[in-house]
Amino acid sequence: MLINYIVIATIIVIFITLGSAFVGMLKGDKKGSDKFFKSLKLRIILSILLFIFLIFAGILGWVEPNGAIF
Amino acid sequence: MNNKNYYVPHGTYWPIIGSVGLTLLFIGFANQMHGAEWGVSVMLLGASIVVFMLFGWFGKVINESVNGLYNKKVDKTFRWGMGWFIFSEVMFFAAFFGALFYARVLSVPWLGGADNNMFSGATDALDMTKYIWEGFQSAWPLINTPAEVGQSGVKFATGFYPVNTWGLPLINTALLLTSSVTITFAHHAIREDKRNILIFWMILTIALGVAFLGFQIAEYGHAYHEGLKLTSGIYGSIFYLLTGFHGFHVTLGTIMIVVILYRIQKGHFTSDKHFAFEAVAWYWHFVDVVWLGLFIFVYWI
Repeated sequence: MLINYIVIATIIVIFITLGSAFVGMLKGDKKGSDKFFKSLKLRIILSILLFIFLIFAGILGWVEPNGAIF
Repeated sequence: MNNKNYYVPHGTYWPIIGSVGLTLLFIGFANQMHGAEWGVSVMLLGASIVVFMLFGWFGKVINESVNGLYNKKVDKTFRWGMGWFIFSEVMFFAAFFGALFYARVLSVPWLGGADNNMFSGATDALDMTKYIWEGFQSAWPLINTPAEVGQSGVKFATGFYPVNTWGLPLINTALLLTSSVTITFAHHAIREDKRNILIFWMILTIALGVAFLGFQIAEYGHAYHEGLKLTSGIYGSIFYLLTGFHGFHVTLGTIMIVVILYRIQKGHFTSDKHFAFEAVAWYWHFVDVVWLGLFIFVYWI
């Protein structure tokens, strides 16, 4: 269950970075463009970390993927 | 560059052409569904007119933009237009994820007696679930429908799901995440005005997007072959609606990246003026995040 909370919390943070990029895009000047790029970079880094975490959690048996056939 | 506060657009015929195209598309589609032989040809005619309108209208806007006819106010309106489009997209996917959570966390457990309702405390003598259908079990994924109705044709033992999470879905997640990395590198390159590097990363992003779509089609073939259909219970419906609309968005995103690549190759955009690229990049990141949510909530936890 703790794993699920960690995963969901990370997803929420990813959504916040995406939202922050969105705000930067709406602004559009140099500052907005920097914010846009930085947020998206953070977004992809977090996503990859989450993906790697999920794979480890699966291999170590912390979570059981939905009805996977092995 | 024109620095007035307001921009008064010139007259244009593209909206009416678009309306005619869409109307023909839907008249053709509706009549084809009712078995009219001419339905398909009218549909294709409508679709062709819509594509013609897209090329003509977007081409005109791009030309005006490249020739410096737009001031800062116009730039802002483009950004807000994209903003509202994104808002509608977020709401669209929120509705489907909402349906998934509602079915999985609330309604299906309720049918199994959760939270004290008429199905609670069932004994053999007082088993209300038989009124849903004989042999009903409240479990996720709920794939079976009543055998008498026989919608899905194939009965799975509950809790069994034919797609291996460690196989294609994992590969597809890796592909899509990688494509977001490559578009981030492309983004870096456009900000530094490095054209050749930019083109390289754009082509790689397109290739990864196409590979994702190919694997997605393969996975559909596999799932369908195993008997998981749109009619396979609430799970089958939500699975195909979510992944199907996501796949449609990846297709659209790939087409958008191809258009941006074409414009880059034509010499459009500068290191500090490239809103079209930004909009497409955001869209791609968004589609990637939706997939991550799908991967986690449909396949994983």
